[in-house]
Amino acid sequence: MNIKSVTAKKIFQTRELPLIIVVAGVIAALTFLSPYFFTSGNFEILARQTGLALLISVGMTFVILTAGIDLSVGSVVALSSVIVGEFIINFHWNPALSVFVSLIGALLVGYINGLFTTYLKLPAFVSTLGMLAIARGLALGVTGGSTIEGFSEGFLYWGQGKFLGLPVPACIALVVAVLSIFVLRKTVFGRQVFFIGSNESAALLSGIPVRKVKIATFMIASFLAGLSGVLETSRLGVSQPSAGNGYELVAIGACVIGGVSLFGGVGSVLGTILGTVLLLLIQDGLILLNISPYWQQVFSGAIIVISVSINLRTGKIKIKS
Amino acid sequence: MFNDSLLAMSEISKAYTGIQALAGVNLDVREGEVMALVGENGAGKSTLLKILAGAEKADSGKISFAGKEISINSPKEASNFGIKVIYQELNLAVHLSVAENIFVGREPKTKIGLVDFKKMQELANIAIKEVGLNINSNEQVNNLSIAQRQLIEIAKALSEDARIVVMDEPTSSLTDQETRILFDIILNLKKKGISVIYVSHRMKEIFEIADRVTILKDGKLVTVENVKSVTPDAVVRFMIGRALTDLYGQKSLKTGLNLKPIMEVEGLSSEPYFENVSFKVFPGEILVLSGLIGSGRSETAMTLFGALKRSKGTVTIEGQPFHAKSPMSAIKLGIGLLPEDRKKQGLFMQLVVRENMSSASLRDISRNFILSRTKDISLVTFFSEKMGLRSNAIDVAAGTLSGGNQQKILLGRWLAKKPKILILDEPTRGVDVLAKSEIYKMIREISDENVAVVVISSDLMEVLGIADRILIMREGKIVGEVQGNEATESKVMAMATGIGV
Repeated sequence: MNIKSVTAKKIFQTRELPLIIVVAGVIAALTFLSPYFFTSGNFEILARQTGLALLISVGMTFVILTAGIDLSVGSVVALSSVIVGEFIINFHWNPALSVFVSLIGALLVGYINGLFTTYLKLPAFVSTLGMLAIARGLALGVTGGSTIEGFSEGFLYWGQGKFLGLPVPACIALVVAVLSIFVLRKTVFGRQVFFIGSNESAALLSGIPVRKVKIATFMIASFLAGLSGVLETSRLGVSQPSAGNGYELVAIGACVIGGVSLFGGVGSVLGTILGTVLLLLIQDGLILLNISPYWQQVFSGAIIVISVSINLRTGKIKIKS
Repeated sequence: MFNDSLLAMSEISKAYTGIQALAGVNLDVREGEVMALVGENGAGKSTLLKILAGAEKADSGKISFAGKEISINSPKEASNFGIKVIYQELNLAVHLSVAENIFVGREPKTKIGLVDFKKMQELANIAIKEVGLNINSNEQVNNLSIAQRQLIEIAKALSEDARIVVMDEPTSSLTDQETRILFDIILNLKKKGISVIYVSHRMKEIFEIADRVTILKDGKLVTVENVKSVTPDAVVRFMIGRALTDLYGQKSLKTGLNLKPIMEVEGLSSEPYFENVSFKVFPGEILVLSGLIGSGRSETAMTLFGALKRSKGTVTIEGQPFHAKSPMSAIKLGIGLLPEDRKKQGLFMQLVVRENMSSASLRDISRNFILSRTKDISLVTFFSEKMGLRSNAIDVAAGTLSGGNQQKILLGRWLAKKPKILILDEPTRGVDVLAKSEIYKMIREISDENVAVVVISSDLMEVLGIADRILIMREGKIVGEVQGNEATESKVMAMATGIGV
């Protein structure tokens, strides 16, 4: 027990603490700079947005931990949004069943991503770049580029409603995040993810089913992107083939800010959560401070570069050569 | 005496946060001399060499070179003085050609300033010949064996007007034959008045090639001795502070009795690495696969373990036909494999010792796919103690440990699986003498528990020392078998090289 608390303390101190301080600092600064920031209305918006983004970044964390990458998540958001719209509005299917179909579609996309990277041995960057175009093209093709509207109240609740005072997407993201922390830290699968990211050959020679685990991480990433797409459709009340444009970059950025190494084997969901929160806080703050949205990306980009440099200098374990 | 001293490092001290790596160490090298530098891991050899190479700065002390006091602030400055370091971890750009690697940063230029590839190849071919390599300088380094890469590094240093060449365990990945070539090169260097600092754990080599030996222990200089006036045993005693008795342990007498083989390999092939390999392995024996690098030993092991595809042949384990399609299925049937390159194929460097050691036992430390921390810790603690690893070290990153301890983690990983057949590919490569003797003892203990141990080794002393039975491979085929107690150096070498049979 003693060892447990000591290591927990150690991990906390070395990795996530600097980021927690930064997030707290940004909150303090925004409270000071804008009278609208520290209001329940703003927090509600923030929580809803962060929840949607968090689902995607948590999925991305699994893939990056195996030293992979998934560039197709933004397009999967669009694809799942379009599928759910088509089935509910145009085919008059039961909403629950439509959501189910949409999520199966997302899982399939992840499965194909995984097959391409493992069996065809394509670099994940390439196979998911292809999927980025394919999934986006499917969403645009099926709808002819137009949006679908007219969802029922029941469906809209999942994106717009509240549960125990919290926006529903935030609740769902929280549950997913907690589950993911558990899976990565306490299950055989989680351990295997770290092994593969740390040293794929060594993982294979330890008898780990490398291909299966990698395919599973792509399916998790895609599934969570699909879930986020369905929730966003519900939040906006409209399914659009242009949804999720550039979300992959936000997700990758959030992981990297949170200390997840693009070389695999290092990182945590807690870090990713903090990274996501930081990115969305900055976005929110810039809007409140009346800074043109055109400038937002400059800030996001700068934060990514700065925090990774800090991570490299402090948080990493030194390896003897 | 004094006037021909080329390099004198005196009173060198260096501390890393809290640890005194070097305390007032002297190193004196004369012109055209081979100075051996020995000491256990952690004795301070690497730190001393890093300071000489300009990769680290000493806290105090002086360096004089050719009679003048100098300061070395960067690897480039060291190189300009003619100090060339060949590290154990090779520093070649694997996607470039041999010639490009040799001339990186100083490529010959044509009149208009472009790289003169033709000239570069010519010069590279000369440099390669000089180290006895028979390859094309256009070859990508990727396609070369570790031994060949090592020789390229040496060729590179020699082509750069070296005055002192530092070789950090140069033979750790060379076969005996390649070692001979290296020694010829070193003798040539001596003739030219070039000095060599030779770091090695192998007493036999030191006593063959070195003039003097500098012995370090715990960051301090123990003594400098003339090789002619000291014995190997004495050097080892200086290094570890005690005598090293019975390095290899007692040989097993069980082999040759009427035992049933645990594994029978019949006509196994995986082109182009090896073909038609047949042999039997008996429980409780140490079977050594000997041969030159590239003779197909590691590939045979990888194929048995399911990491390489077999094209032909059958394998039976305890009479049952067995075809490993992946390491996972091999492990299930009770085979373990300690791979040749522990950094690339064995360890998870950023992960802690505990995670490294239980990586093949995830099923045993979990229930319904959920890991049990208690089971994990108790399993790893048990095998850490068995391997002589400090148990308070199980929560540090594997990458921070010494080579010997890293190897013990990997041995522990397989012992935890209680294998019936354990294949060890170069189990003592890059490991210090003390850890070596511990690993030999462990291997013997494993085989005494009736496990069949198959060892692949390029170290002939090791082969003769531990083998109950030796199979010799050459060019992808098994060319001979010798009983351990009848084996001699010349017998094994003759079969491995095909010369003088």
